[in-house]
Amino acid sequence: MNKEQQETQAYFIPDTIQLTSFTTREFESKQGKLILKSPTLSGKDIQFITDTIKANQKNYLDRLQTTEVIDIVDAAVQKWLDPDYHLRKFAEKWLPVITGYDAEMIRLELKRFLRTFRKQELLRFLVEEFDDPAVLDDFRPRKKGGLSKAYGPNLILHFFSGNVPGLPVWNLVMGLLIKSGQLGKTSSSEPLMPVLFAKSLEEVNPELAKTLAVLPWKGGEEQLEQPAIKAAEAVVAYGSSDSVENIRKRVPAHKRFLSYGHKISFAMVGQEALTVDRYRASIHRVAEDVSVYDQQGCVSPQIIYVEQGGSVSPREFAQLLAKEMDHYNHKKPRGPLLENEALAIQSFRSQYEFQMESSVYGHPADTSWTVVYHSEPGFEPSPLNRAVHVFSCTHLEQVYPKLTAFCQYLQTVGVAVRPNRLFKLSEDLGKAGVSRVCSVGKMAQAPAGWHHDGEFNLLNLIRWTDIETSAERHAEHYDEDSE
Amino acid sequence: MRQQTKQMIEQLISFIIYRRSTDKDFQDLALSLFSYQFEYNLPYKKYCQKRRKTPLTVQHWQEIPALPIQAFKELPLTCESTTEPESVFLTSGTTNVEKRGQNIHPTLAVWDVSMMTAFKQFVLPDQQTATIYVLSPAEDLNQQSSLSRYLTNAVKHFGTEDSRFFFKEEGLEMAALTAALKEKESKREPVLLMGASSAYVHFIDYCMERDLTFHLPEGSRIFDTGGFKGQSRELTREEMYESFARVFDVDPNNFINMYGMTELSSQIYEVTAQSPRFEKVNPDWVKTLVLDPDTLRPVKAGEIGVLAHYDLANWNSCMAVLTEDIGYETENGFVLLGRVEGSEARGCSIAVDELMKANGK
Repeated sequence: MNKEQQETQAYFIPDTIQLTSFTTREFESKQGKLILKSPTLSGKDIQFITDTIKANQKNYLDRLQTTEVIDIVDAAVQKWLDPDYHLRKFAEKWLPVITGYDAEMIRLELKRFLRTFRKQELLRFLVEEFDDPAVLDDFRPRKKGGLSKAYGPNLILHFFSGNVPGLPVWNLVMGLLIKSGQLGKTSSSEPLMPVLFAKSLEEVNPELAKTLAVLPWKGGEEQLEQPAIKAAEAVVAYGSSDSVENIRKRVPAHKRFLSYGHKISFAMVGQEALTVDRYRASIHRVAEDVSVYDQQGCVSPQIIYVEQGGSVSPREFAQLLAKEMDHYNHKKPRGPLLENEALAIQSFRSQYEFQMESSVYGHPADTSWTVVYHSEPGFEPSPLNRAVHVFSCTHLEQVYPKLTAFCQYLQTVGVAVRPNRLFKLSEDLGKAGVSRVCSVGKMAQAPAGWHHDGEFNLLNLIRWTDIETSAERHAEHYDEDSE
Repeated sequence: MRQQTKQMIEQLISFIIYRRSTDKDFQDLALSLFSYQFEYNLPYKKYCQKRRKTPLTVQHWQEIPALPIQAFKELPLTCESTTEPESVFLTSGTTNVEKRGQNIHPTLAVWDVSMMTAFKQFVLPDQQTATIYVLSPAEDLNQQSSLSRYLTNAVKHFGTEDSRFFFKEEGLEMAALTAALKEKESKREPVLLMGASSAYVHFIDYCMERDLTFHLPEGSRIFDTGGFKGQSRELTREEMYESFARVFDVDPNNFINMYGMTELSSQIYEVTAQSPRFEKVNPDWVKTLVLDPDTLRPVKAGEIGVLAHYDLANWNSCMAVLTEDIGYETENGFVLLGRVEGSEARGCSIAVDELMKANGK
């Protein structure tokens, strides 16, 4: 068979800039070879690129109306919703090779994800955070008098995450909505998708694309990060507590700094979701949550609390979940693991196999899925890559005391409970530190306007200018035409 | 002790002592030991049955399921139920002090024979005795440590009368060790230094602070073992060897590294004079498999994987032990790449270590 070889840029810069020195990274698969070309950067390059972006932001992006920006983003997203769009086909072909995720899973999830950036979702996203989104374009009157306008940073520096393909698109769109120039540093585990999305924006509107740069470099490279941080008005960082802290240290206190550290999510299945007619669907949803993107997202559950009293017991739930994860694995196999990742799962299994209170259900031949059942509730992380705890509990409420030590890390909770329990449960989970309660089966699909890690997204990047009533009134004095 | 156990022990001892080791001999004895352990070690039997491995289905020693070291932490693994075992060795409990692995030895007869036979082969192939200076605790100070038993045995069976332990209840007596080494240096008498790697690091630091170096007489040897386990600063093997050469002025051909585990009853050696550097060599009654971490099946020769040791001397707990060490097979043995560190999660999901810190574990 004739193997195909494709070369593509693993970076995106305003097209007026020429870079001269490059390195390549190769990925091989059955379908051929992909060569990713990356620039060898210097501090001077970063300075020049950020200066250019800032100039373009000032001269072009800043002068657009927010609705115009939304139309541009929507047009780019519409391209991605066409299965024959050349960049989508490219992404669907090569992202599985780069990330190791199953191709079908990427195809499905990418489509789902991009749909959350269509015009109506973007408008909703804006209204979510601004009562009057026009404050991004003009001074707008305030209810108690005076006027206010919101300004986005002239340049946002992103440290993108690399775990879930496409996630950086969310960051780029967020930056565009507040009309910021943007420089994104990609992760080596997923360097492609933000570049492709920038290219689509360029196809729709070349001028707007000149306010974007997406570059790969090794995290911590001081000679590149120092000028990048200096140039930026705001810094947004993803990563472990250590790597986020490492960036935070270098960002001067007067600059905006947003960070999204590592989190842990779990699911709670009430007995009402385990009746004879419902338990299958519940297990199916949970298996989906655990398996999608091989549990690499912080929204993926590592723990399932299962309430006793349903038509299947928590132990049976664990066994059936294992079976369901096996089905999922047949359809969408888990990606290949590094040695230490596989060993972490082996070690996870061995740790519980010999304890009386727990049982291990795992794929007999390899580590592709693992469910560990515990007869008493607890709170233990999993080694990920489709390995999950099932804790039996007499009541879901039994779980709260187990959460106290982990307040700062808690994020999404997928629930399957009846309406009159939902509010009380959410109230208690909120107190415990949880920032998102959603249905089981939907844990991986956070809507575009969510309070990411419990915070505002756009508002945290914005600065405001107020015109107070006194200035308005005082200005009247100088109006010669006034009577 | 049941008759069958006594026979098993006799067989093992003669296998070790006579070192008549064709692959077939190993195979036969391994399979019969597997049958024995399958019959009398119930948790292990359950473990094997779950994997559909029984003495009827296992045709080759490589198919014998290797028991993960975690099992030694969770369960008493023993074929011969005895209320008064001669020794119970405990792991250091580096990761979790509450849960230490244990290896129960109803008798140390096989353990001792294994230790001494291999010690002779790898550490003192060319002489009967040596002056041994020991930097780590002897058995009387630490009854639960297999290393202490090992060191005490070495001195008892291979040490000359002037052999000494320099680790006392208060710790390592650096000044006394210095004086003793200086004396050997001036008398031009070789010495065999033995101890845990971390003990050497403390002594090396002590010497460097004082600008102290030795020129140990020709024929001197340096034996170290084990990792650092957070007990001292950590050195790579290269740095360790470089420090040995600098502080003791001993030729690298006289460095010996021993790889041992509480969960086993034999030791594995790295002897620079006998095989390429960093290559670990098994005695005849121990075989090591390199397994694919994902499937736990043997990898292709030379590929990296997780190590499983098949130690015939480990007759009472379990002959086949699955470690958390990674390495690769070489011509005469294997190269150890170290214990697998918890990996930084690729994603935004929190890594286990980070969460454990939050929980104060």
